[in-house]
This record gives sequence, structure tokens and C-alpha cells, in this order.
Amino acid sequence: MSDRLRQSATLLGFALIILFFAVRLPDTFLTARNLLNISQQLSMLMVVAATMTIVMVMNDFDLSVGSMASLAGIVAAVLFVADWPIWAALSAALLVGLLGGVFNGILVAVIGILPFVATLGTLTVFSGLALYISEGTTIFGRDIPAEFSGFARGGIPLEALGLERLKIPALSLVAFAVIAVTWVLLEHTSFGRKLYAVGGNREAAHLAGIRVVRVRLIAFALTGLGAAGAGLMFAARVASANPTQGAGLMLDAIAAVFLGMTMTKRGEPRVLYTLVGVLMLGIIDNGLTQLRVDSFIREILVGLIVIAAVVVAHVSKRRGK
Amino acid sequence: MKHLLTSTIGALVLATGVAAQDIAIVTPYLAQPGAQALIEGFETRAAEKGWEVNTIDTAGDVAAVISRMEDAVTQNVDAIVIHIDPLQVTPGLQAAADAGIPVIGLGAGNDPLLVTNVTTNGYAMAAETAVYVADRIGGSGNIVMFVFDPFPPVQIRGVVADAIFGNHPDINVIDRVTPDVQDGGIADSRAKMEAILAANPEPGSIAAVWAAWDQPALGALQAIEAAGREGEGIVITGIDANPQARDAIAAGGNFEASIAQDFQAIGFKTADVLEETLNGNAPGVPSIYVPTQFVTKANAAN
Repeated sequence: MSDRLRQSATLLGFALIILFFAVRLPDTFLTARNLLNISQQLSMLMVVAATMTIVMVMNDFDLSVGSMASLAGIVAAVLFVADWPIWAALSAALLVGLLGGVFNGILVAVIGILPFVATLGTLTVFSGLALYISEGTTIFGRDIPAEFSGFARGGIPLEALGLERLKIPALSLVAFAVIAVTWVLLEHTSFGRKLYAVGGNREAAHLAGIRVVRVRLIAFALTGLGAAGAGLMFAARVASANPTQGAGLMLDAIAAVFLGMTMTKRGEPRVLYTLVGVLMLGIIDNGLTQLRVDSFIREILVGLIVIAAVVVAHVSKRRGK
Repeated sequence: MKHLLTSTIGALVLATGVAAQDIAIVTPYLAQPGAQALIEGFETRAAEKGWEVNTIDTAGDVAAVISRMEDAVTQNVDAIVIHIDPLQVTPGLQAAADAGIPVIGLGAGNDPLLVTNVTTNGYAMAAETAVYVADRIGGSGNIVMFVFDPFPPVQIRGVVADAIFGNHPDINVIDRVTPDVQDGGIADSRAKMEAILAANPEPGSIAAVWAAWDQPALGALQAIEAAGREGEGIVITGIDANPQARDAIAAGGNFEASIAQDFQAIGFKTADVLEETLNGNAPGVPSIYVPTQFVTKANAAN
């Protein structure tokens, strides 16, 4: 019973938040345009949070995702300036993300450093690299190819459905694709089951024959890759690359996974619930902006809602024991 | 009674919506004193005009500025004011343009999608302080520069100073420091300056410190005083003339000059230009510059 309360409390809260905004903003909140906007606004966070879920399944986490996102954007932009073709620059940036993730994985899984310490270190390294490569400047304007930034403005038109001048944003499609792939990976492959086994009990997983080091290494590599992908989406959306622009993604991603964990059966991270966590954060931001709530108050409210969800989950879990 | 009457009229005006314009201000930089002063200036003048203003801060997140602009478009506001480099928020500008909502820059930058940008001339400010430094040291000596290239409005100041110092063959820029600004910029600038002073122990080996804004200038001043080298005649200049800098300049020490942007006047001007625009008289120029004031010991206390 208490488990069900814990699971449903956050979802109920989410439904109440949507209801509240729908009632207060009857003309603008639950409109196709606004919902499509929200999906686009959240697309980068969805990608980082989805791939953050992969490491958090093993009770690890990665603090370096924000600076990796910045670094990937900078790498691509610097290569654009060097006249690389777009596909090559993007591939190189994603490769940097993958390698950065592997480096995190080596520190955590092979050498055995705590993820907090290891990824705090790489956070600084990636951020420093981004500043160094870009010489601290924002790369924008003609240096960013129009096809690249145009992608972020494109999408699938919905005129056939009678929705004039509306489209499913390309960035949202990318984010949904990443979530779908992550969902299949975590829920429907043996690799995913191994991740959950490592998260449940690392020692037992090892004794059961799971190659824990390899599994953790791959998981960190995927998180790095996701962060780099989000960084490229970010750079396309703002049509520029700034060496610090991804910094805000990390805490929001972790908050989204935590929110998601309050809704799952045993409090374990599940990517679809992470998506609900992301939507909660984004919808609160969108609705409160439309209601003209002071931005500083908005930050306080978002923090309090995350705390409230986790407290309800924690208390009901304890009662359940 | 009079108060009641005024309130009633005010409420009636608001209720009928005759004068109330709905304006959204969006910026990622509200935590910075300069941005606060700009926006307060705008809000003050907007309140006089009876406008409803919603100020939105995204705490440093540039992509979120686009998101909040889209939200404002969804809300169908009458106008949007931005304090950010417009080149970074093109999708937001486009969304507003598609909806026919005017966007005006408040100390922002130029963009064809903006009605106009009300600002001060950052290139000119940097030129004034850099030329002051070059003249004060007689066109000769070692200079330390404090710059911050990741932030475009500050980056352009550094570029201008580079050009001016580069044009003096006997001026040698010995260090071009980008301080860590997470602590507000003073503490790290002081630490960096202490290291530079330690590396250049000879009196006279540093002729001047040119800072792209006031905080590093204040940090450098603290370092010079702590090292007991204030008597060497090291000239320091900043930009912005914030209250702390004015105090230091008025004290008559090494910190000799800064340049004041009248943030409140920029805010006022932006609101006035916006009002004209909403009345169908857009200014038709990409930038409107508000004058600055060079601050030295003679006028720092004003």
C-alpha cells in the first residue's frame, strides 16, 4: 500500500501541476503550440537525463555531463571554423564525448575512484579544455553553418493535421529517439539487466559472472556520448558554442532522475520515469513563466518540489519496511 | 480620499486595458549588478507608463532564454525586451517575429530581428580607458590586462585595448589574464595579480593594469597595496564605475579611472523607445547609444 502511495504521490503531484496550469492558463497552456515548445525546450535535458539514468542505474553518477556538453559544442564549432564538413565535425564531437565517457569509466570502474570525485575532476578538465580550445570565446555567426543551426529550427510540419504553422521540432524527435533507444537498452537487453544487477548488488553481480568493470565502463561511455549529443543540440539551438553553456544541464538531469526514482517500484531509476521527471521540471518552468512568477521564486519552488517528492518517497518507503 | 480616487482610476485603467501593456524581459544575467540596474531602470519607467512587466531570469542558461521567449510569445505579450547577445537566441527572435511581437534589446547586441538595441558603445568605452593608460605611462612600459572573452560584451573591450596597446611599440602586455568570476571576480583577480607581482619584483616592472571591468581592477589594487607596492605609480583602470570602484578612485590611490554607463538611463531610454514602437513609430536604426561618463578622482564622488 505504502509502496503504491510512494509511487503514485509524485505522479499525482505531476497531474495536479498540469491541472493547476491548465485551469489558470486556459488559453495558452494545453495548446499544441505550447506543448511542442515545451518538448523542444526540454530536448537537450531529455538526452542528458536519459543517458544519466544509465549510470545511475548502477548507483553511479556523472557530474561531468554539463561540461562535456559544452566541450562537444566547442569541438564541433572549432572544426566548423576549420572548414570540416558538418558530418565530420559532429562525428568528431560525439567521439570526444564517447572518449570522455570512457575516461570517466576507467577512473571509476578500473582504478576504483568514487564517481563523485572522479567526475568532479573530469568536470573541471572538460570545462578547462572547452575554454582552452575556444580561447574562452563564444563561437557564433558565420562560423556556425546555417544547415547546422537550421536543423534545430526544422521539424515535421503538422499542417496535414490541420495545425497550421506548427511542426514537431527536430530536436524533440532526436530526444524521443534517444529515450526510446535508452529504454530498449535498459529494459529489453541483457546489458540493461546486467546494469540493474550491478546496481542491486555489485558483489553479487560479480559473483554471478557479470563483468562489472566492463559494464560500468560502457555505461559511462554512453553517458559521455549522450552529453556530447546534447551539447551539439544545444549549440544548434542557440546557433553558437560557448565554453560554459552546458553547465546548467548536470543538476537538472540528476534532479530529473531522482524525481523519476520516486515513481518506480523499488526506487530504482527507469528511463521513462526520468522522462516524467524532465517533463515535471520543464512544465513547472513553462507554467510559472506564463503565470509571471518571479524567476527567483520559480527556482525556490522547483527546488522545493524536488525535495517534497523525494521526502514523500523516502518516508513512505521507510513506513513500508 | 484622494488616494482612493487615484487607486480607483488606476484600477479602472488596468481593468479596461487601455494603458496596460504586457511586457516580458528575458535575461540569463539578472544576478549581475549591471543587468539589475538596466532592468530596474526599465521597470521604473515602465511602471510610470502603467505597463505590466514580467522579468524572467534563466540563471546563466542561454537556451532557456529562447524557451522563455517562446513562452512569452505563447502568452501573447505586447513586446519582449532581451538582455543577451541576440545572435544566441535567434529561434526566440524568430518566434516573436512570426507572431508579430516586437523585441527590443536592452544593452544587448545588434540583430536584424530586433527593433533596435539601446546600449552604450562598448568599443568606445574600452578605447577611452586604454588610451588613458597609454597616455599616463607615456606610451612605454609593461601592462597587465584583465579580460573575459567568454562574455561577448566584455570580449569586445579586450579587443579594442589589444589594438591600442599593440599600436604603441614600447608598450608590452606581459599578461592577459582571464580571472575566475565565480567568486565575483575580485578575489581571483587579486590572487592572479599577487602572482604576477611576485614574478615581477623590480619596482617599475609593471607600469599599469588595464581591466575590462571594475572587479579585476579592484582585485589588482588590493594585491598591489598588500604587496606594499602602491608607491610605484602603477596605473589601474576599470570599466563600469561601480560604487566600490568609485570609492577607490575617489581615495586617490592607484585605481585612477573608470567609465560609467548610466544603466538607469539606458533602461529609461529603452522603455521610451519601446513606447514609440508600440505607437507605430519604430526608431528605424539598429542601435541607440546612451552617453557614458569618464570617471576620475575629480568626479568620482558625484
